[in-house]
Amino acid sequence: MPSLGLPIYGQPSGLDARRWRTLEEHAGQAAGASSEFPDGAATEPPEGVSRRGFLQVLGASVALAGLEACKPPRENVVSYVRQPPSVTPSIPSTYATALSRDGYAIGVLVTSWEGRPTKVEGNRDHPATGGGTDAILQAVPLDLYDPARLSGFAGKGRSWGLTGLFTELSAIAREHAADGGARLRFLVEPTTSPTLAELRKRILARFPRSRFDAWSAAGEDAGRAGAALAFGRPLEATWHLADADVILSLEADFLALEGEPLRQAAEFGARREPPRMNRLYVAEAPYTVTGGAADHRLRMRSSEVGAFGRAVAAELAARHGLAQLAPLGAPAQGERAKAAAAIAKDLAGARGRSLVLAGVRQPPAVHALAAAMNDALGNSGKTVRWHASPVLDPDAGTATIARLAKELEAGQVDTLVVTAWNPLHTAPADVDLRRAFRKAPRSIVLALRDDETARAATIRLAATHPLESWGDLRSRDGTVAVVQPLIAPLHETITEVELLAAFVDDAVRGPWRIVRDGWRTRGGFPPAPPTAVGPTGSTSPPDTNRTLRADPFDRAWEGWLAAGVVAKSAAAAEAPKADLARVAQALRTLPAPGAGLEVGFALDAKVHDGRGLENAWLQELPHPVTKLTWDAAAMLSPATAKKLGLASGEVAELKLGERRLDVPVLVVPGHADDAVTLPLGYGQAGPGAVGKVGVQFDAYLLRSAAAPWIAAGLEVRPTGRRVDLAITQGHFDMEGRAIALGLDLGELDHAKAELDEHRGAQASILTPVDYSQQEYRWGMAIDLSRCIGCGACTLACQAENNIPVVGKEGVLRSREMHWLRVDRYFTGTAEDPQSVSQPLACVHCEAAPCEYVCPVNATVHSEEGLNEMVYNRCVGTRYCSNNCPYKVRRFNWFDYRGEMAPTLQMLMNPDVTVRARGVMEKCTYCTQRIERARIGARTAGRKIGPDEVVPACAQACPSQAIVFGNLNDPASAVSRKHHDARAYELLHELGTRPRTAYLVKLRNPNPELA
Amino acid sequence: MSTTAHVPAPPGDPLESAPVLVGRPDDRALTESLLRPVLEPTRKGWAALLLLLLGGMGFWLLALYKTLFVGIGVWGNNIPVAWAFDITNFVWWIGIGHAGTLISAILLLFQQRWRTSINRFAEAMTLFAVAMAGMYPIIHLGRPWLFWWLIPYPSTNYLWPNFKSALPWDVFAISTYGTVSVLFWYIGLVPDLATLRDAAKDRTRRIVYGILSFGWRGSARHWQHWRVGYLLLAGLSTPLVVSVHTIVSFDFAISQLPGWHTTIFPPYFVAGAIFSGFAMVLTLMIPARKAFGFEQVVTLRHLDNMAKVILATGLMVAYGYVMEWFIAWYSGNANEWFAFWNRVAGPYQLVYAVQIFCNVVAPQILWVRAARTNVLVLFCVAILVNVGMWAERFVIIAVSLTRDFIPSSWANYSPTWVDWTLLFGSMATFGVLFLLFLRFIPAIPISEVKELRKELEHEDHHRAATRAAGEGA
Repeated sequence: MPSLGLPIYGQPSGLDARRWRTLEEHAGQAAGASSEFPDGAATEPPEGVSRRGFLQVLGASVALAGLEACKPPRENVVSYVRQPPSVTPSIPSTYATALSRDGYAIGVLVTSWEGRPTKVEGNRDHPATGGGTDAILQAVPLDLYDPARLSGFAGKGRSWGLTGLFTELSAIAREHAADGGARLRFLVEPTTSPTLAELRKRILARFPRSRFDAWSAAGEDAGRAGAALAFGRPLEATWHLADADVILSLEADFLALEGEPLRQAAEFGARREPPRMNRLYVAEAPYTVTGGAADHRLRMRSSEVGAFGRAVAAELAARHGLAQLAPLGAPAQGERAKAAAAIAKDLAGARGRSLVLAGVRQPPAVHALAAAMNDALGNSGKTVRWHASPVLDPDAGTATIARLAKELEAGQVDTLVVTAWNPLHTAPADVDLRRAFRKAPRSIVLALRDDETARAATIRLAATHPLESWGDLRSRDGTVAVVQPLIAPLHETITEVELLAAFVDDAVRGPWRIVRDGWRTRGGFPPAPPTAVGPTGSTSPPDTNRTLRADPFDRAWEGWLAAGVVAKSAAAAEAPKADLARVAQALRTLPAPGAGLEVGFALDAKVHDGRGLENAWLQELPHPVTKLTWDAAAMLSPATAKKLGLASGEVAELKLGERRLDVPVLVVPGHADDAVTLPLGYGQAGPGAVGKVGVQFDAYLLRSAAAPWIAAGLEVRPTGRRVDLAITQGHFDMEGRAIALGLDLGELDHAKAELDEHRGAQASILTPVDYSQQEYRWGMAIDLSRCIGCGACTLACQAENNIPVVGKEGVLRSREMHWLRVDRYFTGTAEDPQSVSQPLACVHCEAAPCEYVCPVNATVHSEEGLNEMVYNRCVGTRYCSNNCPYKVRRFNWFDYRGEMAPTLQMLMNPDVTVRARGVMEKCTYCTQRIERARIGARTAGRKIGPDEVVPACAQACPSQAIVFGNLNDPASAVSRKHHDARAYELLHELGTRPRTAYLVKLRNPNPELA
Repeated sequence: MSTTAHVPAPPGDPLESAPVLVGRPDDRALTESLLRPVLEPTRKGWAALLLLLLGGMGFWLLALYKTLFVGIGVWGNNIPVAWAFDITNFVWWIGIGHAGTLISAILLLFQQRWRTSINRFAEAMTLFAVAMAGMYPIIHLGRPWLFWWLIPYPSTNYLWPNFKSALPWDVFAISTYGTVSVLFWYIGLVPDLATLRDAAKDRTRRIVYGILSFGWRGSARHWQHWRVGYLLLAGLSTPLVVSVHTIVSFDFAISQLPGWHTTIFPPYFVAGAIFSGFAMVLTLMIPARKAFGFEQVVTLRHLDNMAKVILATGLMVAYGYVMEWFIAWYSGNANEWFAFWNRVAGPYQLVYAVQIFCNVVAPQILWVRAARTNVLVLFCVAILVNVGMWAERFVIIAVSLTRDFIPSSWANYSPTWVDWTLLFGSMATFGVLFLLFLRFIPAIPISEVKELRKELEHEDHHRAATRAAGEGA
């Protein structure tokens, strides 16, 4: 057997001695730890069984060839579930940290195997999640281990190590100190980080004439501007759906993208079954995840949504005694008027228990209208709460970046420091940042990947990944979460904290100390006892036990790290008073919807504003609505497509003003007519290996500073060209078959007989195996009423089970490997359909059709009822897949895992076999998690708890639609779900006796709109 | 040995078809004419065709290399269509391989004289077709190097194949069929190999054919043993004709996929196999008969009889098609009904149209006697049936898989160049084997034809005597 080349302490690594990375190494000098981390593992004796040393040796033992940076962070990170005096090999630990979404915190728990993070879950204690995650969070570890990440710090022909870089930055700062930073500018992303806030304050103190300009393509400045309009201050709204009986969304995709979607989805899901079922109205142009969950989806162009909101307000004022809304209202005509009347009546009947939401694409006046309506309905402080905004840059809109571009153009900037994500790509098309950027003699860009902005920079700095960083973030209500690293930086990188600190000559303190010391001050704790300062300025963390006794701050700090949130750090809710006259004035100046085609720009459910483009998991995730993978397309309605003479896959030339763009179109049932929706973020200049796979078009090229979200006057012309769009589900019709069942709330009581045809025992000449005497009978229940179709489960499964991606070509050949797919069906007319999403993985049939046809017994049944797949035994006849009526089995057509980059190997979950070429695979009900629970239970001498085993999909599901557990335990949640009045079995008539039950999707339509 | 005067049948008798042997050539003439392809120098046409087919075989080897070393992802198969060209080709070839045993064994037991001149030819075709067929189940595996796990061998882990699955049955059925076919073919060949040995002019051939003929001297005792052995093997292979394709059909019938899950498959597959097998015999025999001048022993009578078998089995196949539709409707199973509509109106309707035209419509011309004895018409019908039977297997196997129970999982299948190469390449390889067979082994069983001639002479005498007696009275 060839040596694995694992580095062992005190011995030269088993690496081929001919391999070298630097000339020094080649010449025979020590190839120890990188000079970047002089206080790293290699200097510590192994027998000093400190936690840190032990971790490092462990870390080194799993590190792969040439990756001496794979070790846990140097500083004290605190385990979430167990206080770690040590780490047990092969037992993963979980750490709480926070990840940023548009600058706000999402609290997460990250699973770490001996210092190697592999999996992200939601932190139930954090206000931004109900314990679930979304697809983007699930894909974060892939970014961490991406072999294409930037490494090192390089300028034009020069490169630096970390200390060299700090010296260089210090020199640059000194240059600018002379004139107070008049020619120094920072282009940042809106953030809520208190540490960054303090650093900015210190920089502005040293350079009073410099400026921080914030820019984010996904900026929510309209919402804050709307609050400023209504209340005079840019307050932050948080939406609380737990008590909302009637919800009107004015194009707010609050279940997937806006606000705190994870918590909102959990609260929404909990209200999707009787007796307290809510009712959701959505007015929107593109078909969104939220629109799919709506009881009434009102299809209209984005520019008409405001007018519709006004019609509802007019009805509320005229008929329901909310006279104060009268100046805001404007009645509608026709069908819309009928809908507005019904919605107004519904809202008025639920005062204090209703909610009106406005979406990020709507202008500030519509946000102000929503705020005023909530105020009038008595929802403020209940379903919507107002807080002082935690965002440092309430105005990150297009005006800011336009001003910066003008200064650059005029040559007024010598040094531009960019920490915002790829602004050359995301800047509005009429702000020619690409040209202006090059006018700055010195541009310093901090970037995770070699994107367009990084390539244009004169100094390109590799950014530390959030899972390698120290930092802090606030959520919308102000709650602070400390960002703690899971792993020492894999590459030579720095954080934004260090970069900014370098401008006040403080970077050598290191991000850990900067963040920590900041919190010591902010928390009002006494100053730290002096500690030894290392040769490069980094400090060794003090011994945990000693400081815990000595320093009250350390106790608090470790508590924060362990919990993932800083207790009681939320801002108090405010009770602002709306200035209706100002809102009415703003509404009157709303431009009327123009005739002709309108283009709407949309944040993508997968790549967001484009930063997910290089993530293969996100790229291969089917879009929640269109099921499109790898590609993006301009979405339009069937009627509009017909009018324009276009069909799905055909390339059209879009012309908006003077700007043109060639885009493939995708016909989406239910899209508003005379409107085209363009997803942002695809088609970045010079994409990487992943980003270049799909169709390339840069929607930012049509986006202007004046109309960043909605623009009228679009012209569309077919080009006659076609592209193949990789769609995983071509067929959206159930063909009249009973597959994803849906009922109106009122029908449920009468549907028992109908549902009984899809559940219960089936007559059979064979005596079924009796599993009722087993200790465990594993089963799953999926509540279609709760499922919003977001696809988080698909990616959670991919991350947990080491599932490969197959690329666009593989998807076009229908070879996607996802063990769990989310099927979407449309019902009703093609113009205005309702949708239902159905997650489908192996249902673990008790009478499994796959098992008896396998010639080599490679798929067999366990005593507890799992349909098991024995990879070692599989010869790959694929007969099992042919005979699977659910078609949930996946085949390794190629050696998908043959050549993996060393960093990607670190991503693998060691509990799950990495499959070879030619074997079949499928959902295992996360059997590895069952076995972990079994080990724990046996050690403790008890039974596995009824709800103790949580598979990856159920854990990720933001709306808690998936439940798993022991069906032989009547107390388990899954047992209750299996006996629910809504429960049914998919393809029950085949007699497969599936262990996964589905619960009928309920809708709660307004009888007046039926 | 002298030639007895041939007494032809009275002219104009409509019930009397063409003779099974034209003229009554003597033993020497028969030996010489039937051994000529083996003994004469290589012909240019033969060499050119061999070269062409070897080229095709080269592509086939390249496709095999791709399949084995890169993975079956180089094919167009996907989920849901996990079986496509691979198993279609397998069933097609194994079906073709049915004619040989039917002609050799069943017709022997039924004492059908016309089998005599064509049985070796048909058996050789069977062998090569089974060889081609047997390759697909192995290379279609995800991990072909582990194919032997399907064989019940005494493993130290006590791991056995799953006897509930139809695939191990396939292993038994095909390996048994292959073995018995080889034995049957070879035993029939032994007297002729001895003839070859005796007729060989150079030492090498004498030695090679001498070894191959197992010291056959043509003694009465040899002939007696040979007779018994041949008859026993015929009895043994008779059930195989029915069992092999029955078991192949179980691969589909025991599943629950609409379009596969049907009890009519065993007889329907067997009829289809004989249908395609005879079509392939005709496809090969018609050119070979012309090229090697076998018209005397492979007469229009043979062609006529084979055409009748094609017509009869074609009608059985058509009945199977009708019954599938009837049961799909009569069962009231919506999924089943959909699967059949999908054949007519789905994305592969063209393939279904080809299937129906070639298998149901085209053979109807064989009701006409003139068509049955027209070599060109027969050849065209035979080719069409070959195409149609391939289309039928594709429709059953791949098209049923494209759309089953859950519409979200539906997906189409399109073959890659490797798929096409493996199909046409296997035909080329088959052709190479067949050309070598024609060149090195007597394609018509000389001893049996001689025996047939003797019998015919005897009958001629008998008939002449009866007629003379009648005239005398």
